[in-house]
Amino acid sequence: MQKGKRVTRRAFLKGSVGAAAAFTIVPRHVLGGAGNTPPSEKFGGALIGCGGRGNGTFEGLGPDVEKLAICDVKFVKHADNKKVYSDFRRVLERKDIDVVAIATHPGWHALISIAAIEAGKDVLCEKPMTRFIAEGRAVAEAEKRYNRIFQIGTYGRFGRSRNQGDILTHKIMKSGLLKPCKGVHIKRGGLKVREWSGMVNAKPHPIPDTLDWDMYCGPAPLRPYHPHRFGGTHRGYWDYEGGGLADMGQHHFDPVQWTFAKDDTSPVEIEAFAPPAHPEACGMWGWVELKYADGLTFVMDSTEWPEDNKPSYDRKESGGVSLGDLSEEDQKKIKEMPDPEPLIGFPEAIRTRKQAGGHAAAAHRCATILHLANIAIRMGRKIQYDPVNEEIIGDDEANRLVNQPMRAPWHL
Amino acid sequence: MNEETSALVELVNKMPDPDQRGMYCTDIDKDKIEGAIRNILRGGRANILGVVDMLVEPGKGDDVKAHYALHCMALHVCKQDSNRPRRRFSRTLASQIGGDRPKEVQKYLIRELQVAGGREAVESLGNVLTDEDLCEPAAQALAAIGDGAAEQLRGALSRTSGKCRLTILQNLGVVRDTDSVGALKKALSDEDKAVRMAAVWALANIGDSGSADTLLKTADKAEGWERIQATKGCLLLAEKLIAAGKKSEAAKIYKHLRDTQTKPAERYVSDAAKIGLAATD
Repeated sequence: MQKGKRVTRRAFLKGSVGAAAAFTIVPRHVLGGAGNTPPSEKFGGALIGCGGRGNGTFEGLGPDVEKLAICDVKFVKHADNKKVYSDFRRVLERKDIDVVAIATHPGWHALISIAAIEAGKDVLCEKPMTRFIAEGRAVAEAEKRYNRIFQIGTYGRFGRSRNQGDILTHKIMKSGLLKPCKGVHIKRGGLKVREWSGMVNAKPHPIPDTLDWDMYCGPAPLRPYHPHRFGGTHRGYWDYEGGGLADMGQHHFDPVQWTFAKDDTSPVEIEAFAPPAHPEACGMWGWVELKYADGLTFVMDSTEWPEDNKPSYDRKESGGVSLGDLSEEDQKKIKEMPDPEPLIGFPEAIRTRKQAGGHAAAAHRCATILHLANIAIRMGRKIQYDPVNEEIIGDDEANRLVNQPMRAPWHL
Repeated sequence: MNEETSALVELVNKMPDPDQRGMYCTDIDKDKIEGAIRNILRGGRANILGVVDMLVEPGKGDDVKAHYALHCMALHVCKQDSNRPRRRFSRTLASQIGGDRPKEVQKYLIRELQVAGGREAVESLGNVLTDEDLCEPAAQALAAIGDGAAEQLRGALSRTSGKCRLTILQNLGVVRDTDSVGALKKALSDEDKAVRMAAVWALANIGDSGSADTLLKTADKAEGWERIQATKGCLLLAEKLIAAGKKSEAAKIYKHLRDTQTKPAERYVSDAAKIGLAATD
């Protein structure tokens, strides 16, 4: 097929390009043999954010996506606005881009995801999903409003949705029959607290002339440039992320959240043990306890404070849930429940137009666990959360971290 | 250095030293920090101002401990059962906005007002909405505080241009100020595309039913990114109208988008409008 004659996936799937398409679509049985996808069924893809996680995230789009554009704020010197861009808005205007992989710093994840959805694209977004809670709700609303596919870039839940033990726990919890639930899931270590903290004494550096620093900061305050705020170490600053807790936390808690059937709700009581947080730099904390309305408790124990590799949380013991926790009558009900549908990944979702397993509403609820943990750390007090209205109860100042103002022209 | 200042310096020095990597990750003594903060705040306004006096512009000296201490103070006053310590802290910081302190220091004070400020700080924040260096943090702090913010933003709008005007227009949408609808509609015909788009979003977020025709016309004639954003504004407005019980007005928006955004590349908008329209039945 000649270059420039590619039929976009959207037009192809909807059969809406009329007669012109008849001359360009080559049936799979002609060219698509031996496992090859014919060019006419390729999806046009773009990678926005070309740092360390860029290519890996793009690969998650699947083998049928052709990379037509790359975009990064560090490309200001050599952007040609044909293949290489430094402003994601120019990428999203392109009608031949069907799917977008987003691997910027997380302070941009929600805004670019929403913008891509508004431009009719499907989105695979690197974890963590968001920088604060209201962003996640806005992505989920956009996904629903435009009926687009969104998948978060963490995949542990897919295996869980096929594992019999997890399926049983999922069904017990989904049934709502276990009241109160005494399950306690403790995540000890692995949250890279020290590794992904921020500097508290960073002095301003000259901005590299290859970098659009204003665009990098985006909705966050425009700070003096420092190399530690850029690249992977951005994780240590509240402006862009939430430390190792938010970053690694989404990997760990996303599958756990599926197993315990909490994709549509959030913890209601959150308490942390931590020193007062720094205003800009993520830093040290001991543990966080998050309790759901039914009693299920998630715990994060950093094991990095006060001493390396030693647990600091000793309030509760780990404990799962089992059929034996239920009456015989309720056990029977569980056994009669159908298994949940196995979750589907992004490549299948964009072909079938079925919701991806890590869809925005679920990913948002997982990110909320992490944001609530960080809010309890940052505010230094126990908080009560309303998972329906998605706001902290009776605490105006803590709510300012639930929905944070953005620097114009950026908004949700 | 007098005795009071010396005592304050001693308390601020109880804040941790950054570790070898410049972080607060080792040798953190939570009780020592919190005890020192309590003692600083016992000194009232004088001590708050004393800590503010220790702040310097980034790169112009070492204020790491004072910087951290001020934020710890903001967190501490928010934790108290009584609102009085928070108000005193907020009033004291607000009194330092707009004066001769370096702009970067003022920005930091404004950000701490975003953490702990209340109604008592909004006038001081409103006064710097015309300041090119301070309007962004001031508008964000006002939006976070909420109470009394709309009056300040609205009042400053006619006195601003460029970045400050854009910031104010957007934040009038954030605080959903219905009294600004006229000014926002006027901004829809601004020469600056960013201003037009900010006005579209603000009007949509306010949920003003009288803006429906104007927003649809804007979406009809816009191109590229602006068209995408104007269309989003129309869909957002329709949802706000449904939430307000104005289903027939929402249906009008959905029907228009369903019937006009029908090219293959925009079919998803037409489809979204159909889904929205079904919710108005």
